[in-house]
Amino acid sequence: MSLLEVVVRSVVVLAAFLVLPLLVGQTEHKVMAHMQGRLGPMYAGGFHGWAQLVADGVKFAQKEDVTPREADRWVFRLAPAVSLVAYLVALSVLPLTSGVVGADVGAGVLFVLAAMAVGILGPLMAGWASANKYSLLGGMRAAAQLLSYELPMVLAAASVALAAGTLSLSGIVEQWHPLWLVWQLPGAVVFLVAAVAELQRVPFDMPMADSEIVFGPLTEYTGLRFAFFLLAEYAGIVVMSLLFTVLFLGGWQGPFAAALGWLWTLVKASAVAFVVIWFRVAWPRLREDQLQRLAWLVLVPLGLAQLAITGVWVVLTT
Amino acid sequence: MTSTTDPRELTVGVGAGGLATADMVLNIGPQHPATHGVLRLRLVVDGERIITAEPIIGYMHRGAEKLFEVRDYRQITVLANRHDWLSAFSNELGVVLAVESMLGMEVPERAVWARMLLAELNRVLNHLMFLGSYPLELGAITPIFYAFREREELQTVMEEVSGGRMHYMFNRVGGLLHDLPAGWLGRVESTIEDVRGRLPDLESMLVGNEIVHARTRGVGVLSAETVAAYGVSGPIARASGLDVDLRRDTPYLAYDQVFSSGGPGRVVTRTQGDSLARLEVLLEQVHVSLDIAQHCVGVLGSLPQGPINVKLPKVVRVPEGETYYATENPLGFNGYYLVSRGDKTPWRLKLRSASFNNVSVLSETLPGNLISDMVAILGSMFFVVGDIDK
Amino acid sequence: MTTDLPMPRVGLAAEHAPKVVRVVLNWGRRYSLWVFNFGLACCAIEFISASMARHDFIRLGVIPFAPGPRQADLMVVSGTVTDKMAPAVRRLYDQMPEPKYVISFGACSNSGGPYWDSYCVTKGVDQIIPVDVYVPGCPPRPEALLQGILKLQEKIAAETLSSKGIRTKYAGRAASAAEVTRPSLAPPGRQP
Repeated sequence: MSLLEVVVRSVVVLAAFLVLPLLVGQTEHKVMAHMQGRLGPMYAGGFHGWAQLVADGVKFAQKEDVTPREADRWVFRLAPAVSLVAYLVALSVLPLTSGVVGADVGAGVLFVLAAMAVGILGPLMAGWASANKYSLLGGMRAAAQLLSYELPMVLAAASVALAAGTLSLSGIVEQWHPLWLVWQLPGAVVFLVAAVAELQRVPFDMPMADSEIVFGPLTEYTGLRFAFFLLAEYAGIVVMSLLFTVLFLGGWQGPFAAALGWLWTLVKASAVAFVVIWFRVAWPRLREDQLQRLAWLVLVPLGLAQLAITGVWVVLTT
Repeated sequence: MTSTTDPRELTVGVGAGGLATADMVLNIGPQHPATHGVLRLRLVVDGERIITAEPIIGYMHRGAEKLFEVRDYRQITVLANRHDWLSAFSNELGVVLAVESMLGMEVPERAVWARMLLAELNRVLNHLMFLGSYPLELGAITPIFYAFREREELQTVMEEVSGGRMHYMFNRVGGLLHDLPAGWLGRVESTIEDVRGRLPDLESMLVGNEIVHARTRGVGVLSAETVAAYGVSGPIARASGLDVDLRRDTPYLAYDQVFSSGGPGRVVTRTQGDSLARLEVLLEQVHVSLDIAQHCVGVLGSLPQGPINVKLPKVVRVPEGETYYATENPLGFNGYYLVSRGDKTPWRLKLRSASFNNVSVLSETLPGNLISDMVAILGSMFFVVGDIDK
Repeated sequence: MTTDLPMPRVGLAAEHAPKVVRVVLNWGRRYSLWVFNFGLACCAIEFISASMARHDFIRLGVIPFAPGPRQADLMVVSGTVTDKMAPAVRRLYDQMPEPKYVISFGACSNSGGPYWDSYCVTKGVDQIIPVDVYVPGCPPRPEALLQGILKLQEKIAAETLSSKGIRTKYAGRAASAAEVTRPSLAPPGRQP
């Protein structure tokens, strides 16, 4: 791989990382508004407020950067970057279509899951370092949440890897068959629920619960650092949607896959992102202990059962 | 109930010292997303579990009772309107009824029924606000938009008759400000129809949602004894099985006709006493109030034309004496204790507001619950901060 | 107990930008007003009405998703500010990062409104924080808030932002939150 290629790949991944989350954010604004009988942003940028999030970014760049005096300064300042970089790294190994990927890693599934697990450190650091009681509570909730979804998520991903006989993300898509939609369905459901919990989105947004603990770990953040956290949240949706697409929906497989593979991936991922947004509009939030109960009494057994089914199937068919 | 556990200093020992734990004092408010207003709760928490809770009030104290003493009887309604800003019409109704009872004034029948109609519409408006804001506290953002769609419709109707969206100032001592506009009753009827038709949308998002059930069932249970001991009233008391409603028990206006057998009025009660029961009572009361309002429209349409108020002298002086007049506000008992020395202003006008008692029970219900439940309980107490602090 | 607060500064981009860029910067601030609703009384209900489907100020880029002051650009003080609440209002204003704007919504926060002769009501929130736009009414209609927001947006569009300007804004209002926290009346039997 020449230096030029490395630079080009990095720039493309970075561009995708900056543009896709904004698209998701703008979609959320509009989808939520129309589901609630509103219009959403209409003026920023002229046509249907398309530039709302650009305006947000321009504004956040001008804001005063406040670090509370009692805060653990370095941890406080580093936290948004930790959140953000983890998702950037994860995005770089997700394949768009056959052969088009930021960096082709052999054990892609492991790599992505590991990278995203680092991302959760951001809220934890922020919660601890802010010297704010609400932040601390939010941080503790985030930590508790981490324990509940990580295992079912890995189980669901393992089931797919087992079925495909490879840990490579591209390899999984190559092996994918429409029949998987049926017999990997429990795994897919487990994965989606766990993904929403990892993203800390409604109905699992307890760490950020604004009516309970103000904004959880983000309470003390201002300006660009806060914007980075927001960007990380939406980048998380992008990464999760793409990962779900690759693992369970067959990535770029579809009619005219050779020419339109990239479109299939994006369409499927957008549908998943739409579902995640829809959850937020439709549902209230659970309580932290209810999530634990859901995770250990429903998701983990379901994940294990899926793994067993997959194992039996693989043994029988090979 | 003051704090029983004093917060200790936090010392974290490492190694042989072990981990010392300390209770954390958490101030919810005076400005906090959950308090919708400026109530402050001083919580002592162990992790997320609440050990003691103490509501600290007074952030919204505006001295209304003192100001009543320098306003004449026409002006008092302006301030009475505003202590519970979600039940403005019911508040001003209480004041004028108290004054009228001391004057021994007979109000025209049309005014009586029109007041009842508007009071019930106001009750619906109030309940819709809480049906929207309560899910917001549970993290659901959409129901409030549905609730406000109905609120806007009803507010338009109220505005057409009174000119105000929130503070109507439509009651006068001796009746109403002016007669109902031509064709307005038809507008009310069609609006009631519309609102009733769209309520299932809202209901399905509240009592039809499993997560709402999981968050509210068995949370913040109030026993009927506690309710009675703290003087809690209104929908909260009725959700605990206390069958009290001043509209039926000590009827004012023409509520005795509405709540008689065969009338549209009925008292909604539940026995569970948890947050879900309180929510259900509120939802069902909306239906009952809409029924009563529709009945009032029917009666108003059949009444002969006539005056809607009594001509008052230039200066209203209330004869010496005292009275206590309580009405069933949307949130509970709302009483005015009026003492007059024969002046054109009251000598004392004491306010018995529903929210004050409803909130005081919080120190009883919150301990032992999680912070998440705190929000669910607080929201289901249906209070207005101005009504607490006056 | 007084705490010396550092003098607020604007972010780097706003401080050193050339004039052409400033147009873009002003545009960003104009259409991204994350609003912190200081809901105190009746007016707060009309504020909520203004954010609901019929009036929907999100159209104008006023985003009501800021639960705390740190993320907010615009504070709407809606309702009666009492003397007991005033220190909290000031403190939350201090916690907002510059550049920040304040709309005083309704008669009470403009001047005390119907409580003008009360013993415990602050006669206007502008006694404790600088106000950019006053919206009259008791309570004002949601449309009035929309008009107030448009006025504020015009003001922002014509603004030149600098830390120096902020210092001028604070001149004569140097009181920090801790200072307004001091009780105005000593408890009986004790000297202040």
